[in-house]
Amino acid sequence: MSRLRVAIVDDEAPARALLREYLGAEPEVELVAECANGFEAVRAVEELRPDLLLLDVQMPRLSGFDVLGLVERDVAVVFVTAYDAYAVRAFDVQAVDYLLKPVAPERLRQALARARQRLGQPPRVAAAALQAAATPHAAPLSRLVVRDGGQVEVVPLDAIDVIEAQDDCVVVRTRGRKLRKASTLNDLAAQLDPGRFVRVHRCFLLNVARLARLELYARDSRLAVLADGSKIPVSRAGYARLRSVLPAT
Amino acid sequence: MHPILARRGRLGPYLGAWTSVVVLLAGLVRLAARVSWPEAAAVVVLPGVIYGFMCLAAFYPCKSAPLRAGQLGKALTSHVLAALLTGLVWLFVIDTWLVLLEPIRWLARVQDRTNEFIPVMLVAGVVVYLLVAALHYLLIAMEESQKTETHLLEARAKAAEAELKALQAQLDPHFLFNALTSVSALVGSDPVAARQMCQVVAAFLRDILRLRGERSIPLREELELVDRYLTIEQTRFGARLRVEREIEAGLGDVRVPPLLLQPLVENAIKHGISQIVEGGAVSLTAHRDGGLLRLEVHNPYDPEGMRRHGEGVGLASVRARLAAVHGPAAGVEVEAGGGRFAVRVAVPLEPNGELDPALPRS
Repeated sequence: MSRLRVAIVDDEAPARALLREYLGAEPEVELVAECANGFEAVRAVEELRPDLLLLDVQMPRLSGFDVLGLVERDVAVVFVTAYDAYAVRAFDVQAVDYLLKPVAPERLRQALARARQRLGQPPRVAAAALQAAATPHAAPLSRLVVRDGGQVEVVPLDAIDVIEAQDDCVVVRTRGRKLRKASTLNDLAAQLDPGRFVRVHRCFLLNVARLARLELYARDSRLAVLADGSKIPVSRAGYARLRSVLPAT
Repeated sequence: MHPILARRGRLGPYLGAWTSVVVLLAGLVRLAARVSWPEAAAVVVLPGVIYGFMCLAAFYPCKSAPLRAGQLGKALTSHVLAALLTGLVWLFVIDTWLVLLEPIRWLARVQDRTNEFIPVMLVAGVVVYLLVAALHYLLIAMEESQKTETHLLEARAKAAEAELKALQAQLDPHFLFNALTSVSALVGSDPVAARQMCQVVAAFLRDILRLRGERSIPLREELELVDRYLTIEQTRFGARLRVEREIEAGLGDVRVPPLLLQPLVENAIKHGISQIVEGGAVSLTAHRDGGLLRLEVHNPYDPEGMRRHGEGVGLASVRARLAAVHGPAAGVEVEAGGGRFAVRVAVPLEPNGELDPALPRS
């Protein structure tokens, strides 16, 4: 049996220490990383390729679910949290196990065994499907988590100008920068507040607050001029959608 | 609801009192017709009892014409009309009774003197009716005041219950799960510290149980409780959680509602410090400002973090309890901006630095 490569992700040092101590007693387990936040976790998964994440949910800026939405590598996940309220979502993202704090050593051992079993099987879910599941379906998003290479950024919705569809991803235009995110415009549009973000064109999702004015440049074709002067096309259907959220003038 | 018929135990006393009315009516017949007591009684007792029940109908005009300023004329008119009507029906009852009594020969004298006592009976009937109407007004007013009192008591009980609930809602059970995780970790690495941590957690829980039933506690005790809480949380967060205190000297005996600061500090950690990767400092200040004790808890927060909807349970509870004890004299002010979150609480001081001593202490 090969050694199980494990990374611990928790923002609280005692919680990490406890897991570290328990793992130390396990044969055939190698602790490859201890991460104090989600950013470190995303980097560790890319660079160290652990087999298993012991992942806290409530962490600053990036939650455990955000981390899963950002990693592009198949990695087994065991959630470790004080809250039982996330269990359903954990199931959605195909978590191997769900441990409640304070963790009992035999529960952890059980979770490790399950992870070994899962890893022995061919991966059933692609990373992208996991990402889709990692995003909540209920409340509209309050911010976007974007990863560009090794860099993870949390972009508040207010700071977004436009989200543009590209071949295999979307590009988020924010504060004069362009950030790529592995997602589709359809998925994002479904998760964003339709009163704030309007699909003005097949390829563009516009933050209505950024709209300066509309220009007519051909019959049935308009251009949205943004506050920073940049322009994006508005289709006929997009114009109708825009009209329905803008206050009547 | 009829105040006499609908209430068990009221009809009996009413009929008892009515006996004296019947005796009075018999006396009037005796005087007016110059007959003996038995003769008068024979003529008046049965109609009198029937009239007793008839007068209970006075409730309906009382209900439809309540005694309110500006509507007294209406009430008077409807009662005079009702009284005359009842009086006439009463005469009809007496008359019918007299017809039934005709075969009895020893009552012949009374039958002959009908004209002498009938008008007296009409007048007496009207007067008695008006008295009964007044009794109804009295009972209705009594019931209303009782109802108001019940409502008031219910409202008070609800407020007290809400207060209690608010108090109980304050300690987030997840705090305990996390504290136990810390203890669990320390058992392996530093058993002495683990033991100390158990002591602090126990002391904190004991403080909560002891203090939350109190109406007010010295500020010193609240600060001790907060210190214990912070010690526990600092074990969790390590260097990420720093604490700055600026407590003016001499405020230790000032009385404040229990668990006034703890929920604010809890929020500062839960929604502020713990959401920031590098952490930050929770600042706690207390100072005297004229007749007020001013307390402030402030902390950095991540304006781009998860959005929170509405006001948390802790803050709402502090607000509600301060308002319940001090009314508008106390205040809670929240300020968020520039990545800093501040809650300012003002508690009125008595001249001697005490809470209003007139307030009952439970």
